[in-house]
Amino acid sequence: MKNLLVLAAFSFASACVCAPALAAGDAASVEEKAKTCAACHGALGNAPTGPDFPRLAGQHQDYLLKALKDYKSGARKNPIMGAQVGGLSAQDMADLAAYFSSQKGSLHVIR
Amino acid sequence: MPLALLLLSALSLPAHAQSGNADAAKGKVSMCIGCHGIPMYKTAFPEVYSVPKIAGQSPDYIVKALQEYRAGERSHPTMRGIARGLTDQDMADVAAYYGGTKEAK
Repeated sequence: MKNLLVLAAFSFASACVCAPALAAGDAASVEEKAKTCAACHGALGNAPTGPDFPRLAGQHQDYLLKALKDYKSGARKNPIMGAQVGGLSAQDMADLAAYFSSQKGSLHVIR
Repeated sequence: MPLALLLLSALSLPAHAQSGNADAAKGKVSMCIGCHGIPMYKTAFPEVYSVPKIAGQSPDYIVKALQEYRAGERSHPTMRGIARGLTDQDMADVAAYYGGTKEAK
């Protein structure tokens, strides 16, 4: 029993240590997944193919991730995006948010 | 005008009927800059995350986002409150102001 408790404590600790690294996203391995996004958001997320599709390149990572999570949960509704996020895991969404936020694009901040 | 040409011109109309005026927006963006004009600014309520960059964004997307906040289809409380006070013309003007800027960083 004691061994089990130690094991449980260790597993919990490892999960805490590893989770942030996973959640940060891996932009290098995600280029394949991002090709689907490019159909509407354009190459590297900076050249939308429709007038009301947003640019993603250079957008804040945590904002992009929140948008994906909201589409996934249904809190934000859009027929296209709702269908797209269905096949994405939490890791995929973290990866895509990291990928697009790291691209250079036209988005910026002005007063 | 041939019917086909008429139909074609109808199809090519922009998604929003209103045409925006960036100059007219200058008196309207004061409520935007408090959050969207500060680099790396984060919302504090109800969740903490970075306020999106909107300068350089597709103008029609900005209009669509504002319309969705006004209709209650997007959930941020501050943005809902602000969007409820905007007319269609205000939204088009603000979109022209932010979407019309070409400067990239």
